[in-house]
Amino acid sequence: MFTDKIELKDFDKMDPEYKELLGHVLTIQADCEIGGPHLYVETMLPAAPTKLDQLIVARTAAEEIDHFRKIARVAGDIGVDVSFVLSQPNQQRFVDTFRGLITTWEDNAVFGFLIDRVGRYQLEEFYDCSYLPLQRILPDIVTEELGHIEYGYNKTLELVQSGDEEKAKAQKVVDYWYVRALDMFGHTGSKRSERYRYWGLKRRSNEQARQDYMNEVGPILTQMGLKIPDPNQGRRYL
Amino acid sequence: MPQTAPNTEKLDEHLLEVVRALHAAVKQGVSHKDDPKIMATAIKDCKEILDVIMEGNVQEWLN
Repeated sequence: MFTDKIELKDFDKMDPEYKELLGHVLTIQADCEIGGPHLYVETMLPAAPTKLDQLIVARTAAEEIDHFRKIARVAGDIGVDVSFVLSQPNQQRFVDTFRGLITTWEDNAVFGFLIDRVGRYQLEEFYDCSYLPLQRILPDIVTEELGHIEYGYNKTLELVQSGDEEKAKAQKVVDYWYVRALDMFGHTGSKRSERYRYWGLKRRSNEQARQDYMNEVGPILTQMGLKIPDPNQGRRYL
Repeated sequence: MPQTAPNTEKLDEHLLEVVRALHAAVKQGVSHKDDPKIMATAIKDCKEILDVIMEGNVQEWLN
């Protein structure tokens, strides 16, 4: 296992596999950061239920754009240009979850609650990672993601508490996004994930991170009065 | 030191300005949440800025 800590000045001396993996994971992270706003800005900015919610949609997008900027800077400094993802059509996003469009407020709420939480997990993988410039940008990004998750949770809870019809809607939307959230962690037994861990770029295997997520989300759903969806139904990456 | 990717600095600066402008518009709206006119203007400003970012014409932004 590689346990050194690397600064930008050391990057050129690193093994080609390390360079490739770091460039790859930064590109995917940048794509996910900007992929969120591309799912909801066009539809939810005008359609959010109140003007204050509209502004919160804009603020969330601003924060995600800033996360993209920070990741793009770390990538750019090692010679990896991720700017192409800014004009990438949704259907070409690296992660399936970002390949559609959010068209309802319920989806927008649950997206924050469940999918931004996966975003937090992905970022937490880099805590104490071997590449210090990446580690340094994490605290502010994660703090903002926690805000998105809390807002999504509160809006989902509002739906659940708005009567049986709204609760049924919320459950349906949770069923839809929950399996997508689980898929975002990738294949169980992934060889690439093993190499990330070897190089100190990630902390957990895909299956461990997914299990941790399920252990966290399950009790929250139950407490909200929602059912935990079948974790195997509709999954693409087991 | 590795060779920096083209436009890294310029893109960083441009996006930082965009983010600051968005936060300023949001702040203006939120701090006047009882004034529908100011709220509407803030939302319109956010939409205009975000529309440009969603279009993603990076070369246009940087030139």
